[in-house]
Amino acid sequence: MKILTRERLVGLAFLAPTLILFGVFVVYPIFYNVQASTLQWDGVNVGTAVGIDNYLELFQDPTFLITLRNSAFWIVLTIIPQGVIGFLLAVALNQGLRGSTIYRAIFFIPAILSPVVVGIVWQRILDPFNGVLTEIGKATGLTFLGGNYLADPQTAIFAVIFVNVWMWTGFSMLFYLAGLQLIDPSLMEAARIDGASGFQTMVRITFPLLKTTTLSLVLLGIIGSLKTFELVYVLTQGGPNHASEMLPTFAFLEAFQLQNVGYASAISVVLLVIAVVSSLSMVRVFGAGFITGDEK
Amino acid sequence: MKLKRSLAGVATVITALGVTACAGGAAPVASGNASGDTITFRSWSPIEQTTRQMIDAFQAENEGSKIDATIFNYPEYLVDLQSRASSNTMPDVLGLQPGALTQQYRENLMPLQDCAAETWGDDWQSKFYPIGIEQARMGNPEGDDNFYSLPILTQTVNLWANSEIFDDAGLSVPKTWDELVQTTKDLSGGDAAPFLLPAKDSWLRNVVFLQIANNVSPGTVYEAEAGSKDWTDPAIVKAFDYWSKLFSDGIAQDGAIGLDAYPSAVNQFEAGNAAMIPLGAWWIQQSDPTKTDIPPLSEGMSGYEPFLFPTIPGGAAESQFVGGIDVSLGISKNTANPDLACKVLTDFIAGSAAQKLVNTMNDVPAVTGLAPEKFTSEKQEQIWNLFVDEWLPQVKWSRYFESPKLDQAVADALAAIATGDATPQEAAESVQAVQDTL
Repeated sequence: MKILTRERLVGLAFLAPTLILFGVFVVYPIFYNVQASTLQWDGVNVGTAVGIDNYLELFQDPTFLITLRNSAFWIVLTIIPQGVIGFLLAVALNQGLRGSTIYRAIFFIPAILSPVVVGIVWQRILDPFNGVLTEIGKATGLTFLGGNYLADPQTAIFAVIFVNVWMWTGFSMLFYLAGLQLIDPSLMEAARIDGASGFQTMVRITFPLLKTTTLSLVLLGIIGSLKTFELVYVLTQGGPNHASEMLPTFAFLEAFQLQNVGYASAISVVLLVIAVVSSLSMVRVFGAGFITGDEK
Repeated sequence: MKLKRSLAGVATVITALGVTACAGGAAPVASGNASGDTITFRSWSPIEQTTRQMIDAFQAENEGSKIDATIFNYPEYLVDLQSRASSNTMPDVLGLQPGALTQQYRENLMPLQDCAAETWGDDWQSKFYPIGIEQARMGNPEGDDNFYSLPILTQTVNLWANSEIFDDAGLSVPKTWDELVQTTKDLSGGDAAPFLLPAKDSWLRNVVFLQIANNVSPGTVYEAEAGSKDWTDPAIVKAFDYWSKLFSDGIAQDGAIGLDAYPSAVNQFEAGNAAMIPLGAWWIQQSDPTKTDIPPLSEGMSGYEPFLFPTIPGGAAESQFVGGIDVSLGISKNTANPDLACKVLTDFIAGSAAQKLVNTMNDVPAVTGLAPEKFTSEKQEQIWNLFVDEWLPQVKWSRYFESPKLDQAVADALAAIATGDATPQEAAESVQAVQDTL
């Protein structure tokens, strides 16, 4: 009993630094944020307690509803294309293709660039006045290329999502490549001997074996989608007329430009709740194995 | 059992940490940041390289004194300042904008009129352009005549023309709306945009709108802001309508609402890809004589010419002057060394550091009588003199709204018009709806 207690104490001693850091840098800010969300507060001067008024106002705010819609678009339209294209690229580059190392680097480069740089470059590419796509469109007759994609409320969010997919597909590819290299080659050999086609092998063997990789990418994709900020801020500033606003850009606008920190805190709390619920739901549905690696 | 108690202990610590979190509480009084002869300075402007020159000039004249400066991009600066104000670690001297930003930090700032009077004498206000003095106290509560910030740089908002494009086409800058429409038509079809409007930025939408609104009916928009007129006043709806004509009449380039001013539009203008652009007096900084590798158009301002937003049919007979403070400076009331902070602030505004600032033509100074030590062309000097001698003394209309919410509401309304989501009347009603909540 004494040994058990001592072991537990030692365990707790090892855990203590992490718990303290977790308390100071995670729990405390969350609590602070929740408290701030109950205030009408400019972030500097004394705030006034307003209870849940910020939340009541938030759920009637059309811009907030746009951010929820955009988050849903973002999650679906980034995770699926990034996953599919990343998987196909990984399969292709795992075949021992000549120069595959160079291709890997090329496809991965966008993921290591600053979103600010990516945003500025893509703004020039998409500028309908004399951007790169417009010029290509003029030269080739494909005039649709020179559309007002960032300036049109109907297309702005999709244009930003497109750039985001371009940026992060290499990241998915790298994950899948790592996963592919963990698959026992004898499995593929056996499938070939049994007469499976390349497509059948990919769909029925390779992809199912990469389930944990896919689930990890989905989880990272959901969290990344919810907290996306820089790319939207640089490409559209959430506009035009809030059409491409996401929860973090909306919170930033309210907190630092409109000096409405209480309201921004309410937005942040909602964002936190959505992120936690999504993550826990995934763990609940698929088990925690894909995070801990136990399934392998 | 012990484990449970341990866990309970950890939970207690976490809860205690949470309970001590007091968002929205008054900032506690603490000592300032200056230690000995060091003053901390934080701002988004002037740019780092210029600030360095200003600091060197100050330190050379004030041996033993040190300025510890950090320059941010504007959005990051707002975050930094708010965090520092909340944690009571405000810099000793800090960059501010008039109105909402200064008012947000008013409780943390030192009144500056005594510092100004000690440095420049009792008639110190006459040293500044009138609009700077007027705007420095923008938003102060009734009866509070303190200056919590003093301007360092001022400006007009106006249009700039590419002189080469205009000369080649045999045109002169438009003075009326009809001339603007005709000039745009005449310049269409070439490689350059006739009128490059970077309307993605809310600040730019608002300053263009304020020029239009004041040309339609001088001052009416500020009466609406003060609540003495409605935003649905016919003059304001007409101003929104003329903003919409920039898009519907094909004056602005395609995709204007998606183009930012910095860096995209200004790069294009400097590359000669536009004949006109709405910016302001600060564009003269492109010809900064202290810089090397200046593009041909910017060298000595050879390729540029400033002009005022054209008059509107049925509106004011002359184009109105809209502008104000670009950057102002404040001093934290908790500074440990108020005398040195005052010395830094006044030197940055009108002393040897200010001379270094003006030499770079970063913008037009807030005080009269300061001029760059060197002009690189006659045209550059003429443009400078136009700003400081003719335009700035006449600036009557502010380029800012006092309330950030109203500022955003107008910017949103202008975006909605530009994208076809709202008519001018609907846009005016949407601003009025926000005004009613203030």
